[in-house]
Amino acid sequence: MSFISENIYCRGWSEEKFFCMASRQRVGETGLSGSGPSNQHMPYAVLQGIGHPATNLINQQGPAFDFGELEEAIVLQGIKLGDDAKKAFFTARPAATLEMFPSWPMRFQQTSRGSSKSGEESSDSGSGLNTDAQLEPESPISNKAPPDQALDQRQLQVEMRKGAPSSTSEKVLDAKVMTLKTGGTLRRLAQNREAARKSRLRKKAYVQQLESSRIKLSQLEQDLQRARSQGLLLGVGGSSGGNISSGAALFDMEYGRWLEDEQRHMSELRTGLQAHLSDGELRLIVDRYLSHYDEIFHLKGVTVKSDVFHLITGMWNTPAERCFLWMGGFRPSELIKILMAELDAFTEQQLIGICSLKQSSQQAEEALSQGLEQLHHSLSDTIASDPLSSLGGDGIITNNNNHVADYMGQMALALAKLSNLEGFVRQADNLRQQTLHQIRRILTVRQAARSFLAIGEYYDRLRALSTLWATRPRENMIGDDSSYQTTTELQMVQTTQSHFSNY
Amino acid sequence: MHYQMGSWGSYMSSRSVSDPLERVERLASENAVVIFSISSCCMCHAIKRLFCGMGVNPTVHELDEDPRGKEMEKALMRLLGTSSAVPVVFIGGKLVGSMDRVMASHINGTLVPLLKDAGALWL
Repeated sequence: MSFISENIYCRGWSEEKFFCMASRQRVGETGLSGSGPSNQHMPYAVLQGIGHPATNLINQQGPAFDFGELEEAIVLQGIKLGDDAKKAFFTARPAATLEMFPSWPMRFQQTSRGSSKSGEESSDSGSGLNTDAQLEPESPISNKAPPDQALDQRQLQVEMRKGAPSSTSEKVLDAKVMTLKTGGTLRRLAQNREAARKSRLRKKAYVQQLESSRIKLSQLEQDLQRARSQGLLLGVGGSSGGNISSGAALFDMEYGRWLEDEQRHMSELRTGLQAHLSDGELRLIVDRYLSHYDEIFHLKGVTVKSDVFHLITGMWNTPAERCFLWMGGFRPSELIKILMAELDAFTEQQLIGICSLKQSSQQAEEALSQGLEQLHHSLSDTIASDPLSSLGGDGIITNNNNHVADYMGQMALALAKLSNLEGFVRQADNLRQQTLHQIRRILTVRQAARSFLAIGEYYDRLRALSTLWATRPRENMIGDDSSYQTTTELQMVQTTQSHFSNY
Repeated sequence: MHYQMGSWGSYMSSRSVSDPLERVERLASENAVVIFSISSCCMCHAIKRLFCGMGVNPTVHELDEDPRGKEMEKALMRLLGTSSAVPVVFIGGKLVGSMDRVMASHINGTLVPLLKDAGALWL
């Protein structure tokens, strides 16, 4: 049976409803109108008999009030009831139920005062009212009662009716009912209340936790966005879990600023070309662009000493740029390739110059690559330990100290070799810088302006490609953790798109 | 890899020269393209590959295989003003420099004429 106590905790239940239901079921006081289901649906009328204090309590506290206190108030009024009734009551009661009012007698349905309390227990009434009521999760509810209990209740009602006066005093009636409640009932009711209270506290704590987590999350998002804008976490990959050296962090920050400058320079070039400025003015812009590149090479030169691996792994680049990474940056021959897109704009002299530049940059790249390969071989040879090196001729490890000393020696040698990486990155940057300057020398001012603009936009598009790749629709990637990332990436895409439209 | 190793003949003749720098200069003027290197140095390997890739046949002196190599290394360091003596390239007896200078001159187109003038390259 779904007990009416469920309905007691129902939030939406107003007093009017109780009144309505009570009046609908108005019957004579001397007898039950029948033990049909309709009566059984009127447990709320039971509460009509409750005296004023209790009713006031109900009125004050509203729909979700604490029935426990109400119960106590009722109990304390003092109740008398026949022993027979008591006995019958107790035998009928099922064990370990948590109903509030396990056996309010049926007769109390007859009275027609509105109240919001019910104590009726029966299998039929409970199930009927189940559909009307909303259940509060915190109310412990017992939904079943043995059928014979209803029978006993009716017996009880009949007995009680005999001894009950007419509408003189509901208090007396209630008092009689209340004697049914012993310490066991009270205890159960108290437990019920306690459980309800604990539930409410738990819910409150959980909600508080959720709120604080939400605040923390928004703060993290802000920090991340700030870091991204400063160029600390370029690209999707970002830094590897925050373990970024100070040199690397500094470089990333400066590189971020450099990228912003790059945009400025490019728009200067663009507007300069479109406005058909004089050669003198354009030369200034072009030379400024060159020195802008000199700045980044200088910065990389400084960073090579502090954190060469950061440059070589290219974590300061976007993922697409990283694909084409060569010794901590772009390939110088790539610049020539970008130039070649505008072959018809060059004179024969210039074409010869460009071709020889193409050849020399390729040769230099090849030479450096082979040197680096040699470094790899040499380093791996040093690190590769010969398991037999510490063994004597008879196969027994002769001296443990020697083994350790060999290890340390090997490591020291490997360290020295690894430091050569710095030299290679420096030479590669040197090559990049020299190539850019040579392009400037070969071409006229206007051609140089167009070429530099083309170069700038090439890498801009490569960076945009990384962003688009990161935000491409993927089936698996639903989830809130990628949503904020997507937002900032999309902002980046929007800025780059504006560049495309200008050109 | 096709390049000449420093011959014993030249070593014998410059034996009497005590000043390591003079020895360096003497060795440098003996061939069109002279590279001072250390066999385990990877950058030296790169510079060797660069010249060979251009079709040049440089003369390489491995300082770690020369008994007076240490002194020459120090002398070269003083000459260049850098912490690493090698690799260092002489073309036509004249000092070109270490890797970055060689690279720069190759990119700006001055290396090939220099090689041609020294007779190391003809095309």
